[in-house]
Amino acid sequence: MTQPLLSVKGVSRYFGGLRAVDGVSFDVFPGEILGILGPNGAGKTVLFNLISGIYEPSSGEIWFSGERIDGIPPHMIAQKGIGRTFQIVKPFASLTVLQNVLVARGITRYNHLSKVWGPWGSKEEIKKAMEVLEKVGLSDLAERKAGLLPLGNLRRLEIARALVVGHSVLLLDESFSGLRHDEISRLEDLIRSIRKDGLTVILIEHNMRVSMGLCDRIIVLDHGLKIAEGTPVEIQQDKRVIEAYLGGKGAAYAS
Amino acid sequence: MSSYAVTIATLLVIQAIAVCGLNVIVGYAGQISLGHAAFFGIGAYSAAVLTTKLGLSFWTALPLVIGISALIGLLLGLPSLRVREDFLAITTIGINFIVEAVFRYVPFFGGALGIGGIPRVMFFDIRLKGVPFFLLCLGFLVLVLLICWWLTRSWASLACYAIREEEAAASTMGISPVRFKLLAFVIGTAMAGLGGSLYAHYMQFISAGDFSFPVSVGFLSMLVLGGMGTLWGPVVGTLILGILPELFRPLVDYRIFFYTLLLLLMIRFQPGGLLGEESFARKIIKPLLRGFKK
Amino acid sequence: MRLFLEQLLNGIAMGSIYALVTLGLALVYGILRILHVAHAAVYTIGAYAGLLIFNLTGSLLIAFPCAMIVCAIIGVIIERFVYFPLLKYPPFVPLIASIAILLCVEEACRLVAGPYILTFPAKLPFPDISLGGINISSTLLAVYVITALVLLILWYITTKTELGLAMRAASQDMEISGAMGINSHFIVSITFVIGSAVAAVAGILVGIYYNQVYPTMGTVPAYKTLALIVVGGLGSVPGAVIASLLLGMAETLLIGYANIPLPRDALAFIAMIGVLMWRSEGLLGSSR
Repeated sequence: MTQPLLSVKGVSRYFGGLRAVDGVSFDVFPGEILGILGPNGAGKTVLFNLISGIYEPSSGEIWFSGERIDGIPPHMIAQKGIGRTFQIVKPFASLTVLQNVLVARGITRYNHLSKVWGPWGSKEEIKKAMEVLEKVGLSDLAERKAGLLPLGNLRRLEIARALVVGHSVLLLDESFSGLRHDEISRLEDLIRSIRKDGLTVILIEHNMRVSMGLCDRIIVLDHGLKIAEGTPVEIQQDKRVIEAYLGGKGAAYAS
Repeated sequence: MSSYAVTIATLLVIQAIAVCGLNVIVGYAGQISLGHAAFFGIGAYSAAVLTTKLGLSFWTALPLVIGISALIGLLLGLPSLRVREDFLAITTIGINFIVEAVFRYVPFFGGALGIGGIPRVMFFDIRLKGVPFFLLCLGFLVLVLLICWWLTRSWASLACYAIREEEAAASTMGISPVRFKLLAFVIGTAMAGLGGSLYAHYMQFISAGDFSFPVSVGFLSMLVLGGMGTLWGPVVGTLILGILPELFRPLVDYRIFFYTLLLLLMIRFQPGGLLGEESFARKIIKPLLRGFKK
Repeated sequence: MRLFLEQLLNGIAMGSIYALVTLGLALVYGILRILHVAHAAVYTIGAYAGLLIFNLTGSLLIAFPCAMIVCAIIGVIIERFVYFPLLKYPPFVPLIASIAILLCVEEACRLVAGPYILTFPAKLPFPDISLGGINISSTLLAVYVITALVLLILWYITTKTELGLAMRAASQDMEISGAMGINSHFIVSITFVIGSAVAAVAGILVGIYYNQVYPTMGTVPAYKTLALIVVGGLGSVPGAVIASLLLGMAETLLIGYANIPLPRDALAFIAMIGVLMWRSEGLLGSSR
């Protein structure tokens, strides 16, 4: 059996008395697409914030390719090749779309003070950044101020930046929400293609059709606890999931 | 040029250098500082001490002065990293009051009397004053602007912009907020130190009151009115706020009143700065430029 | 020992006056997240208005409410015409505007009333009392009583009335949503009315306490109170009051006794930076 790329081991995070994430464990294997499901407030985004270093776990460990990464600041985790998007989009509003991607491209330099004095606008860098924008379909808007884009485009911009940073693992936080139908299938294709390039993807997704179709495995959170783990088919048949997550609306997810 | 005009022009150029430094901290990295006059003062006092007490020349003291200013900027920047935006504003005000108090009450810095007898700058065998000294300052301003221009194109400033816009997102792109905020503080305070040194050698006499909190407010007003984060904003803002009081001189007693009233109106109606977006200067100039291109 | 107690009593009076000024600042910060430096301008105007009306009518009972009304109006004007349009900009934009208002008002006072120090020859209707050989002058007693009264009324308004509930809700809501409904805008104005009226009381009390009214009397309080709201925990009114009292006592005692070389006015900021390093959310602030 292959070694897991990312291991979450009994991780908890409390806010005051609230257990946002409560003793969650799971492994992610290289090249996998793992879905994280759960109702609102189940702790999915908190889990992402724990993996990407924005929060420190109250207890538990997180391991990434043989290294313990919990408690390390976010910029160091990003340096290891873990990229993420934010559910509440966080564009660098007054910068252009192209500059937003260039910020991410600088990731190889920010840790060495000697390397940060060169110009970011070199032809080579712009070409590379444009390629990424091409992938997510934003190349036409490269010179537009990011703050002026509609939500759908901002989600793509988030993905573009995460793609640059996450050469190993990609954490996508509800990247599909707010997208049109054609945009969704395009993004699905994109995720499949980057997986082919060897990336590992963890995604939080509300859209059942998308997550069932895209993910190799799914884990389900409810009130901070992991209540199920398995293939999409297994999850669809899991009684606890149907009860906790879908409540009385079992019919809705079947469609 | 009359000596009056030269005096005004020299002081304006020196202030513009300090405001450029403030622009790196506030405009590029988005870290509010209301204590910039303290660093201007630290530059001036270290220049004064090094030249009057240790007998160094302006030129040999200059690297030390800049180094001291940058180092103290680094030290005082550290507590600022711990606090939120509003706290930062008040913390920097506090730094200004404390630094001023140290200058005023520690005998080593001349106490309430300040430090006098600071030598003029020598350029080979010429003692610079009047127009030649103005040209020296102008040269330094050009140098500072070149550095700023270079900065705006560098990865370092791209990282600073990212922190300014969205710190959490920036950190998930491998940018250490601490490192780049401190970098901005160091560069900004080093420029303030340079300005302070020139100020000391121009005035030849300095005292704590020259670096009090209202001076910091002046610097920040100049920057905001000129346009934060822009290359020329600091220069434009310094020119406007520096020349206005001179133009208002005929108003005699009403001069400061109208000056502060105008400051209030400008910040109220042009909060983005004269070179910032949605400024009327831009609204007027843009169509003109388009007309030219056609 | 007697000297110590007398110093302490003076310190409490100083602290009470700080508290009255800081209160308004904490209220405004709590609801708008603006550092309202111009509050000190309102306080200066309060002192001048109170003095003017006292000189005209000879009655403090008329002077207090009139000055409070004048200040309330000025507070609302500042809120409506300066802060409200600037809310969408970064916080230092309203801050600079606020500093500009302070400077402008100081100049206006200087032009209208002259640059000299005016005396405030009013006598507050309180007795001089003597407790175990320690004299408490009528002014000192007045400062205590009036401050306590103002705090009590404010405590009642904010905790026991629907208006107070709405004020607290607005400060919560605006923090979360950043949106301003019509209703909450009314609440904001009420906050300015209350804060500014209290500032008028503080202005008159300071005028009588030191027997001095002058154009730049607001400069030092303007910035010192900023430090105080930080020490108290930004937006926490009880915290601001406690911090004010502590500072008033510390300043008076340290200057009177320890003879520290640093000037009194830097003390607030040294305390502030110390507190920030120890508890980055202030004495009574909530960590968010």
